[in-house]
Amino acid sequence: MRRLIALLALLCCTTLAYAQTAPAAAPTLVDDVLTHLAKHQRVRAEFTQRRENPDLAEPQVSTGDLLFVIGKGMMWHTRAPYEDTLVLTGGDTRRLNAQGKLERVRDGNRGVSQVSGMLQGLLAGKTDEAARQFTITAEGSVDNWTLHFVPKQARVARVLAGITLKGDAFLESIDVNLASGERTAISFANTREAGALSPVEASALGAE
Amino acid sequence: MKPAPTTLRAAAFAAVSLLVCALGVWLLFGRGASPLQTDLLAMLPATERNALAEDAVERLARASGDRMILLVANKDDDAAKDAARELGEALGKDKVFAHVLAELPPFDMEQLVNPFLPYRFHLLTNEDRAALAAPGYDPVETLKRRLNEPFGANVGPKLGDDPFGWLQHWLDRQPWNRSTLVPEDDLLTAHRNDGSYVLVVATLDGSSYDDGVQRRALGALDKAEHEVIAKHPGTHVLRTGAIFYAAAARAGAERDTHVVGIASTVGIAILLLFVFRSMRPLLIAFLSTALGVIGATVATILVFGQLHLLTLVFGAALLGEAVDYSIQYLCARANAGPAWEPMRGVRQVRPALLLALATSLLGYALLALVPFPALRQMAVFAIAGMAVACASVFWLLPALLRNPGNAPLAAPFVRVALAWQRVASGRRSFVVIGVLVLIAIPGWIKLGHDDDIHLLISPPATLEAQTNQIRDIAGFGGGSQFWLVEGDSPEAVLEHEEALTDRLQKEGIAWTGVTGMLPSRKRQAGNLTAVRDALCRNTPGQLGACGELDRAQARSYMIAAGFRAEAADAYAAAFPGNAFTLDDWKRIPAYMPFQYLWMDKGSIVVPQGDVDVERMRAAAHGLPGVSVIDKPASISTLFGEYRGFASLWLGAAMLLVAAAFAWRYGLRGAWRVLLPPLAGIVFSVAALGYLNQPLTLFHLMALMLVLGVGANYAVFLREGEPHSAHTPGAAYAGVLLSAVTALLSFGLLALSTMPALQHFGLTLLLGIGFTALLAPVSAPAPVNSNA
Repeated sequence: MRRLIALLALLCCTTLAYAQTAPAAAPTLVDDVLTHLAKHQRVRAEFTQRRENPDLAEPQVSTGDLLFVIGKGMMWHTRAPYEDTLVLTGGDTRRLNAQGKLERVRDGNRGVSQVSGMLQGLLAGKTDEAARQFTITAEGSVDNWTLHFVPKQARVARVLAGITLKGDAFLESIDVNLASGERTAISFANTREAGALSPVEASALGAE
Repeated sequence: MKPAPTTLRAAAFAAVSLLVCALGVWLLFGRGASPLQTDLLAMLPATERNALAEDAVERLARASGDRMILLVANKDDDAAKDAARELGEALGKDKVFAHVLAELPPFDMEQLVNPFLPYRFHLLTNEDRAALAAPGYDPVETLKRRLNEPFGANVGPKLGDDPFGWLQHWLDRQPWNRSTLVPEDDLLTAHRNDGSYVLVVATLDGSSYDDGVQRRALGALDKAEHEVIAKHPGTHVLRTGAIFYAAAARAGAERDTHVVGIASTVGIAILLLFVFRSMRPLLIAFLSTALGVIGATVATILVFGQLHLLTLVFGAALLGEAVDYSIQYLCARANAGPAWEPMRGVRQVRPALLLALATSLLGYALLALVPFPALRQMAVFAIAGMAVACASVFWLLPALLRNPGNAPLAAPFVRVALAWQRVASGRRSFVVIGVLVLIAIPGWIKLGHDDDIHLLISPPATLEAQTNQIRDIAGFGGGSQFWLVEGDSPEAVLEHEEALTDRLQKEGIAWTGVTGMLPSRKRQAGNLTAVRDALCRNTPGQLGACGELDRAQARSYMIAAGFRAEAADAYAAAFPGNAFTLDDWKRIPAYMPFQYLWMDKGSIVVPQGDVDVERMRAAAHGLPGVSVIDKPASISTLFGEYRGFASLWLGAAMLLVAAAFAWRYGLRGAWRVLLPPLAGIVFSVAALGYLNQPLTLFHLMALMLVLGVGANYAVFLREGEPHSAHTPGAAYAGVLLSAVTALLSFGLLALSTMPALQHFGLTLLLGIGFTALLAPVSAPAPVNSNA
């Protein structure tokens, strides 16, 4: 179930030859948007994640920066309210410790590790998974678009109300709404081509 | 016509035979379930040192017992799902299935979360417990990190119910969250590079080993599968489950029974027609044998309540030994010519037949002592069959063969027999035997041995491949290697199991066991203490008085991390909750499929994936109450032990037979009579060595028969010679006739698909062949009375 949320990861940072799975009609806005996003192989951005939940007195807000490399994974670097770097590759979550070493997070949120697992799958061309799970609709134009993901399956829909992505050339925001009233909104700023990776980044993600 | 006592006896015998036949028909077909046993496990002996271990083996083997596990595969996801749905629907219509699961019944995620809430403070993963106990554990920091995880939204326990994520971590380790099959479109689905696989489970309304259930269920599956594949081209269905193994075993055994039964019947018929040149002897011989087989079947079912497949195949071969008795009688009739008098014939063959029967019964009786269910059945089958066949010669045949035979034994056959007898009974033959013994020595030296379980159980490779594929994709399928954990009480069992599973986790060996779902009371108390200590630790001066305080602390940490006061109050109020008990575990529906792992006085821990048995042993080393059960290895050890036992038995039986011969023929005569079977055994074993066949238990079982049959031949010849002095070679011709019929029946077992029976057949082929050729040694060469 949690893997559904995984879908986001893929979309937040790009690619995916979505056209393969879309009905063989003229390219739709969805296809256009995804094709445009896929142009950027390595992306950096600053994120702000805001989490609302009926059990929280006020929304939790965290900020930091993010590096995404297609085919490898992502580094999610939280700067506030604490310092932490998670490396999400393949099916696993690892933490970059103070000494610059990676430690496996054994009891990490399974959802988080599945984010990357699913992401890798999607990048390898298995885009049908997203289409199997969601009804996808689009609004706007390639320069200013909104995509809605609504679960196809009743069992999932009872938990996950929907996911909304907005963006232009890059992804600007992700909105996840759970049926329980929980809502997580991630917005991206200063999105840009990543340029050269630092040695730590390159080794953590296994990129050259 | 005088109402001869012969006729009365025969009438009585015939009446009893008819009754037995009727009983046999009722036993086989008259009752609901067929007594034919196809369960391969049932014929294996108990190998484990205690009943609990045997029970565990049985439970594991039956865990997927009366179910068909099917994976419907197709490149196209929709086609795979539609095919699975339709297959499920089609199977569901047949009453042979009690329940078919394809589409999942509606359920809420909450059903997999809410039942655990009262126990949440007692259930921790090892990692969480270690983290809580680590110095510097900061509850507020932990909460903050959890609240700000990337893509934070999480499904599972509500945030306020599980602020630290402990329950979530625990639930992530539960079996239903570890499966690679995920619910999709209300179907359990796995995706692989080559397409989608959808699970369909059909539970049988009856046993996998029930003949009727088997046929109907397989028929229904084949039909449904055929339709589904026709409608969705490219679909294929992977199958596993005990029922398929049982059906494969049955098909193999039936094929063997047919091949051996039909081929030997036809072969024997042609041979008897050629030798006796008349239909009557042929029919008589078959009647006597058939009565033997029917009597044997009835006796076996009466004693054991069932008839094992292996016994049936063996029984088909036993025809060849049972027919010997009537052949001796028929030969006596053919040799007597016009002077034939049925009762004198009986008196003439009686000593030979009784001696032969006694040695055979002795052999089979010893076989019945082996604590091996399949062998016992065969022994009872053989004893009953031989006795009935022999009795029919004494009591029934005289009445049916009142008139003299209209032809002596076929002349060419007798001439060949006589020629060989002359060659083989001279002094030179002892020299030849001596030389052959020398030649045999290297063969004996080359001889190895093999006790592998696959001698007995060799399922078709395609079925094994499908089972492995299903295990890869879906992650289930029981193995026969596992850890058995024992203890005096449930708590002791759980603690012993935890010692093992903690070690497994450290070693990185994946496993399924009860403690993954239900920690021991001690462990749960430890979990609660870890939670308490972690929450109280940062309260200076209050250490040790952590009673009401931990609630207050939990509350204050949650509020500090950003939770609402009401949520924090509710969480604090729930503390410490209840311990999770065995009864609680048994009550949770999601755990039902795993209840077979629990045995009160013990539990089963199954390794996931391929784990080397040596590694399993190392993991269990030194742990109290933990042992590795390796059924295939136990069976192999047992086969080895029996092989040793069988060799001893062979020696003992030889001594017994020698004693019987010495009593009748004197020491010098006994030596001659014993020589053919003895040399036959020595040469067959050497031949096996030269053929590079490792010696197995089944070769030795065959050698036991060689001894019995070989002794018969020597006896028939020795006893028959004086009565056929007027037709030299006739007695040996009778022996050869017996030998060829035996070869035609037992020997054909060499064509069997089951390695055990194949070895059995080959050994008999060699042993009976050698013995029959050497038999003339047992009696002095006939004088040449012919011109």
